[in-house]
Amino acid sequence: MKEIINWLADPIRSFPIFCFLFYLMIKNYKVIGTKKFGIISALLSIPVVGWFAADPNFWAIITWPDNIPIVILIVLVSFLTWFALYKCAVNDTRIEAGQCPIEALPENREKVWCWPNLVYIELFCIIATTVFLIVWAILFKAPLEEPANPTWAPNPAKAPWYFLGLQEMLVYFDPWMAGVVLPGVIVVGLIAIPYIDTNPKGNGYFTFVERKMAVSLFLFGWLALWLYLIIVGTFLRGPNWTFYGPFEFWDFHKVVAEYNVNLSEFLWIKWLNTSMPKNLVIRESLGIILSFLYMFGLPPIMAASKKGKQLIKDMGQMRFYILTVLVLLMCSLPIKMVLRWLFSLKYIVALPEWELNL
Amino acid sequence: MKKDIEPGMAFNIKKLNKIFAFLSFIFLVSVIWVFLDDYIRPWKAFQIEAMNIKREKISEKLKLAEEKLDKKKKEEVLAEIEKGKALAKSRVQDIRKVEKRIMELKKEIKAETIINGTLNSQVAALTFDYGVAHTNHAPNAKSLFKTMSHKKRLFAESRDRMKDLDGRFKKAQKRLEELKKEQIVAEKELKALTGSIDLLRQAKAQTDMNGIFVIRNAPLIDFLDPTLKIQQLVLTDVTDDRYFQHVPKVDRCITCHTFIDQKGYEKEKNPFKTHPNLDLMVGLKSHHPMKRFGCTSCHGGEGHRVTDFSSPAHTPQNEEQKKEWVEKYNYHPPHKIAQPMYKKGQTEAACIKCHQGVEFIPQGTVVNEGQRNIEKFGCYACHKIEGWEHKRKPGPGLKKIASKVSKEFFKNWVWDPKKFNKHAKMPSFFGLDNNKDPKFMKKNIAEVNAIAEYLFDKSADYKPFKTFSGGNAERGKNLVKEIGCMGCHGVEGFEDISDKIDAFAGPHLTGTGSKVNPDWLVSWLKKPTHYQEDTIMPSFRLTDREANDITAYLMSLKNRQFESLEFEKLDTKVRDEILITYFSAFDTLAVAKKKLDSMSDRERTLELGHRSVGKYGCYSCHNIDGFEGRAPIGPELTKVGSKPLTQFGFGHEHDVEHSRDGWIKAHLLNPRRWDNGIDKPFKDLLRMPDFDMTEEEANSITIALIGQVADKIPLSGIKRLDAHEQIAADGMKVVNKFNCIGCHQVDGVRGDILKMYDEDINEGPPLLVGQGHRVQADWFHHFLKDVYPIRPWLKVRMPTFNLSNEERNAIVSMFQAKEKQQTFVDNKVRVQWEPGERVAAKKLFDSLACASCHTAGFNNEEATAPNLYFAKRRLRPSWIKKWLANPQAILSETVMPNFWEDGEATEPSILDGDPKKQINALTKYLIEIGHDFLPDSQTKYWETK
Repeated sequence: MKEIINWLADPIRSFPIFCFLFYLMIKNYKVIGTKKFGIISALLSIPVVGWFAADPNFWAIITWPDNIPIVILIVLVSFLTWFALYKCAVNDTRIEAGQCPIEALPENREKVWCWPNLVYIELFCIIATTVFLIVWAILFKAPLEEPANPTWAPNPAKAPWYFLGLQEMLVYFDPWMAGVVLPGVIVVGLIAIPYIDTNPKGNGYFTFVERKMAVSLFLFGWLALWLYLIIVGTFLRGPNWTFYGPFEFWDFHKVVAEYNVNLSEFLWIKWLNTSMPKNLVIRESLGIILSFLYMFGLPPIMAASKKGKQLIKDMGQMRFYILTVLVLLMCSLPIKMVLRWLFSLKYIVALPEWELNL
Repeated sequence: MKKDIEPGMAFNIKKLNKIFAFLSFIFLVSVIWVFLDDYIRPWKAFQIEAMNIKREKISEKLKLAEEKLDKKKKEEVLAEIEKGKALAKSRVQDIRKVEKRIMELKKEIKAETIINGTLNSQVAALTFDYGVAHTNHAPNAKSLFKTMSHKKRLFAESRDRMKDLDGRFKKAQKRLEELKKEQIVAEKELKALTGSIDLLRQAKAQTDMNGIFVIRNAPLIDFLDPTLKIQQLVLTDVTDDRYFQHVPKVDRCITCHTFIDQKGYEKEKNPFKTHPNLDLMVGLKSHHPMKRFGCTSCHGGEGHRVTDFSSPAHTPQNEEQKKEWVEKYNYHPPHKIAQPMYKKGQTEAACIKCHQGVEFIPQGTVVNEGQRNIEKFGCYACHKIEGWEHKRKPGPGLKKIASKVSKEFFKNWVWDPKKFNKHAKMPSFFGLDNNKDPKFMKKNIAEVNAIAEYLFDKSADYKPFKTFSGGNAERGKNLVKEIGCMGCHGVEGFEDISDKIDAFAGPHLTGTGSKVNPDWLVSWLKKPTHYQEDTIMPSFRLTDREANDITAYLMSLKNRQFESLEFEKLDTKVRDEILITYFSAFDTLAVAKKKLDSMSDRERTLELGHRSVGKYGCYSCHNIDGFEGRAPIGPELTKVGSKPLTQFGFGHEHDVEHSRDGWIKAHLLNPRRWDNGIDKPFKDLLRMPDFDMTEEEANSITIALIGQVADKIPLSGIKRLDAHEQIAADGMKVVNKFNCIGCHQVDGVRGDILKMYDEDINEGPPLLVGQGHRVQADWFHHFLKDVYPIRPWLKVRMPTFNLSNEERNAIVSMFQAKEKQQTFVDNKVRVQWEPGERVAAKKLFDSLACASCHTAGFNNEEATAPNLYFAKRRLRPSWIKKWLANPQAILSETVMPNFWEDGEATEPSILDGDPKKQINALTKYLIEIGHDFLPDSQTKYWETK
């Protein structure tokens, strides 16, 4: 059983599984968003977590002081996601029945004083958080390490936990993509959300049915592309950034078979059976064309689709194209991951001479 | 909406207040907790315990001192004081008067001091002002001068009054003392009596845990002046490598190891124990005082960390201790620490990092043993170790091997040397854990066959210059024991002695008869350099008969079982297979095959032989033609003690302790274990051979190796040899190379063979104590080339070594440097006699019966002491005097009598019985009668007397 879980946990398998579960969750949010489901799954998770924790290797990973934030994060995010879906489910049922959302009920619309209702409670939160941090700092000593030695880097060398998703992306992308462009796009995209999302529905109340696309897209990016990668980077990446199953001992000398090939090499060597052209641009032409098509060819096609036309009508052309570009950039990550797993594809465009790899 | 909520409110404010109160309370608790957590440190508990221990010690001393105190005397003194007080009381009128006067004088002095001080400052200021005004020709210069003069006068007057007051004050004081005289004297007496007790009481008071102690160490204010605090040593001579810069080492070990540098705590338990070797380490007067070398310079670990027991990287000695520590201190193994503390018993490893370039580290018994074993097993031959470059190759040269052993013997020997000789230094390469599989064995057999063919093909012609003419094995056996062979060789037939001496410079002689032919052996014994020019085997100047006798004995040692072995013939198919893998390393199989096809059968065998010699690194230990200058086969070990643990290949051997020393020891005991469970092709199998060493040997080598660290230590911190020590160290390299210390104990070092002579050490090779002071340099240099017997009655012989002039010089200079002697003695100075001194010397010489032992040249008795006629050129006069004055002080076991024991002359009638005069006279006499030339073995001078 543990071997099977170790085997399943490899991103090659666990990422599709995670995406599929995500799909199931969105599809059946009304089932998930019930108290019954929440309680049953919480109860069920206790023995499962207990069984996991009984394994010394797994226990070592989750109790490592560096990793405790991630444990807290998993618990909090699971609960909050369920809670949001629960609220959505309740409201959506009401909306479908022609009623107003719970938040719009007259008793919930009554206005109260900012002081003390808000400020006082914020103070509580400040105190409680400070107490929590103090106790945490006492109980789990900061994991100070040896003085930095440029000739002997720690292995695995891990970023702070909140950047582990980015570090995991480095497995699939060139550093400037994973470290500069994509994080930049994430920030820009987050800033752009209020300007793109002009749907007035859902203001002040939970709903899924009225903002299906917005909620699904955001949750996918947040859960599957950000948190999932953080969890993998924290728990499942050991020495040499090699994958280790949750029950696997972090043997320093573990070796993984990995040999990656560039798209241009596929094209010229494997398919055309000739030597690589000397001209860099010609050599990488297929990748360049494909990338251009992906970024600039797909949006018009999407715009021409029925859904696309509907969206343009709702939000206008400019917003639509910005949204598609952002979504395409977001999707480039899972696409690249899948290509890597299926074809051992190294880079779509490999121009190390220009330090430009896609 | 609930009733108890006010309008405009979402919550009940009272409830919120309660929550606020609750949160504030938790906040308060957590703040207190954080202060306590910061305040309660494990080392404080140790310091308090140390205070108690100290208190107990002081109490004991105090008790002892109080018991020792003469109580009666104390009573008397106390009574004396009382008496004094009574007397003072009777003079109370006078005393009061004087005291009053003293008070008045004090007041006046104070008043005058103020006047004096004011004037002084005014004078100084005016002097400056006037100076400025004068040089600038200012109009007020004159008036300033006037004021200044006036003030100066006043100041002088004030000074005068002051002196007067002082004088009167002293007088009054004296008067007071006179009036109280009896009391003061008695009080002084009491102080002398109980002074040490008072001091002890004061010391004890410092360990009081009273209110002041509590306040000084209270939380929050303990930053002011705590008594419990981290104690640290900051070492500028030893630095820590913080990678971007070297910083002074900071050791805080003494925070808990409180009494490490103080005598008297030897029996306490850790961490309160005294250092076990204060005379060498830590102690203020030792070579390595704590203030200069700290703790972790030798012990390793993170000396600046005192967070808890685990943080400085204490390392348990074994599993038991680990368990104990886990229970006692919640110990967990150090995490990410490059140099954890050395285990108990391994600390001497650290000597190496500062003591470089010497063959033996004084008092470093453990590390010397380790380095001796490195030398014994010849680790340095395959693995470069800086500082070991001067060592010779540990195995014999193979350039004339064909004339020494048979091919069949050679193959069987290479296959399994221990089968022929269980003491063989040659390690086993074959039939081990990773290559005992038949498919590998087949290839190994082909390789051994090929090596034999290759070496025998390359072997130069050699014809022994002597023929064995038969001898008496019994006599030979006796000779082997007597003349000193066993200083370098273990010998079959003398197993007990061999074990005791544990010699390793030469091979253990067993089964010799099955190995070599008698002609070769007799030639070898007569003149080893005839066969191998660079051998360290010396000539014992054997007569033909002696050489034949020894040969007869050694040839009688047979190993029939080994002789009957028949080595499997070369399988040409396997040979070709191996060659193909070599050839195809950089070429395709087809090219490799073509290359093979172009070679004749013989060429192929020789090619494999050549490749195999390179593969197994035979050339690292043996001189082999065609491999000169090739780098040794093993990885360098110079910095193995700093090699990151992650770079040690533990393979799948999970039961090996995960530490540097764990790996090295496991590697030494079974070097092929790392291949276990790994599927490897033949060419990639590990090749480090098995030395069949004992666990102790592996341990000691491990210790010497983990000391090979990369630490950069400032020049001021390391042991820098001075000019004399440098010369001595260089000479010691030669002494060690030729194994002089196999026979001679040099200033306490080694002298292995002496273990044979524990009944009478005077029958063994002479101990060399202060040899550089004893003999003259030119004589010594001459003697090393032309050895002649100095002590003809000894059976053990000083052999003639094949020393180069440089080597002889190095040895002579070494002894000379060790004793800080000048090179030459002025032998041309004529002896100057005092009147009557010569007669007295002669008389003394006769009456002390010197010639009864030192017979040579005086009578025809058998000599039991060296020839005195040679003393003039052999011994240094200053040494002769030192020797005569007290021979036992130099050599405790010598039979030379001490004629001036405790400065009392045996012959009080001669030269007034003055030992100094007598010794001087005798020394002069020896110089006068001595030959003024060096004896020469070529002319056999000593035989003609």
